[in-house]
Amino acid sequence: MNLKSNHDDLRQLDRVINSFIVSKTIPSLNVILEEPIQYFHKKTQAIQITNLDLLISNFEEMDVMSAVYVKCGGDLNIGVLWYLLEEESKPLAVKLLGKSHLNEFDKLAISSISEIGNILTASIVNAICNEAGCKIYSSVPGFAIESLRILLEAIVSDFGDLSDTIVASAVEFYGLNSGIKLQMLLIQDPKEAKKIIA
Amino acid sequence: MNSIIEVKMGGLAIIHGETDELKTFVGSCVAICLFDINAKIAAMAHVMLPKKINGKQRVIENEVGKFADTAFAYMLNNMIQMGADPKRIQAKMAGGATIFSHESETSLSNIGSRNIAAIKQILKETGIPLISEDTGANFGRWVIFTLSSGDMTIISNLKKTRKII
Repeated sequence: MNLKSNHDDLRQLDRVINSFIVSKTIPSLNVILEEPIQYFHKKTQAIQITNLDLLISNFEEMDVMSAVYVKCGGDLNIGVLWYLLEEESKPLAVKLLGKSHLNEFDKLAISSISEIGNILTASIVNAICNEAGCKIYSSVPGFAIESLRILLEAIVSDFGDLSDTIVASAVEFYGLNSGIKLQMLLIQDPKEAKKIIA
Repeated sequence: MNSIIEVKMGGLAIIHGETDELKTFVGSCVAICLFDINAKIAAMAHVMLPKKINGKQRVIENEVGKFADTAFAYMLNNMIQMGADPKRIQAKMAGGATIFSHESETSLSNIGSRNIAAIKQILKETGIPLISEDTGANFGRWVIFTLSSGDMTIISNLKKTRKII
C-alpha cells in the first residue's frame, strides 16, 4: 500500500507516534530537564525528499540550530533529528554539565547535548520496536550547528538511496520553567512506516 | 542588471548570456557547474546523490540535477546542443560537507564524500577538467556562479566567509 497517498494511514501513524511521545519521550525529557514538559505534535506528512520547504517555517529559515541526529537501521530505517536554537542549547548544556556558564561548545558540551538526543531517541525507538516487534540498532549520535535547511538536506539525502519520498513526523517540546523549545523530526521510508501501524 | 537563477535542491539550470548568474545553497549536496566561457554557456546542478540505485527512484523534470550521473548527461547534451564546444567545457564545484560530526568514526552514510567522489569520477571519465573546488568541511555554502567571469563565489553565513574560486 502506498502510504504517501493514504491519509488514513498517516493519521493512524500520527496517533501511534503520539502515544509513544506521551508514554515514553515526555517522561524521559521531564527527568532530564527536571521540569514539566508541554508538547505539540504538529503532524505526520509524506513529502518528496526535495521539498524541504514543507518542513521549514519562514521563522526557522535564518535560524542557526544545534542538532543531534541518530540514524536507526535494522528491520526499520528511521532517522531522528533533535534540534533547538543554538542560543538555547548553551544554557541547556550548562545545566546538564552543572557549570555556571559556557563560552563555547567544547567536546563536553557537545557530548552532553548528544546524549540527550541519544536518550530521547531510544525512548521512541524502543517503543516502536515493541509495537512493531522488530529489531532496530542506532548509530552514534551526530552533532551539528547549522541552519535547519542544511541539516535536513543531509538527512533526506541519506534516505534518498531508499526512496523519493519520506514520511516525517514533527513534534515540539517546551520546558515550562526554562522556556526551552526542543523539536523532533522523525523520518521514515513510507513503505517501512506502514510496518509500525500494521 | 544581473538576472539570477536559483537552483533548488535536486534541480538543474542552464544559462546562455552575458549577465546571468546561477545560485544555490548546499550542505552535503554538491553544486557542480559546467561552463564554456567562450560560448557563454553554463549549467549548474544541485546534486543530492551519486546515482540511481534502484528502480523506485525517479528522475522527474524539475529534479534532473538530483543524481550525479543523470545530471551530467543532461547538462552535457543540452550545453552542446546550445553551442558549447565539448573540448572547452570546464568544471567547478562546491559543497559535499559532512554536516554531522561524530565522537567515534561510526558514521552515517557520509553522503557528502560520496557525492564528491562520484562527480570526480564522472569528470575523469568525460575528460572535463575540474578547474577549482571548495568541498568537504562541515558547513553549508551559498554558491554563486557568474557566467561573464567564470567565477564561483562561495559564501558561508555561519563561518562568515566569502571567497572566489
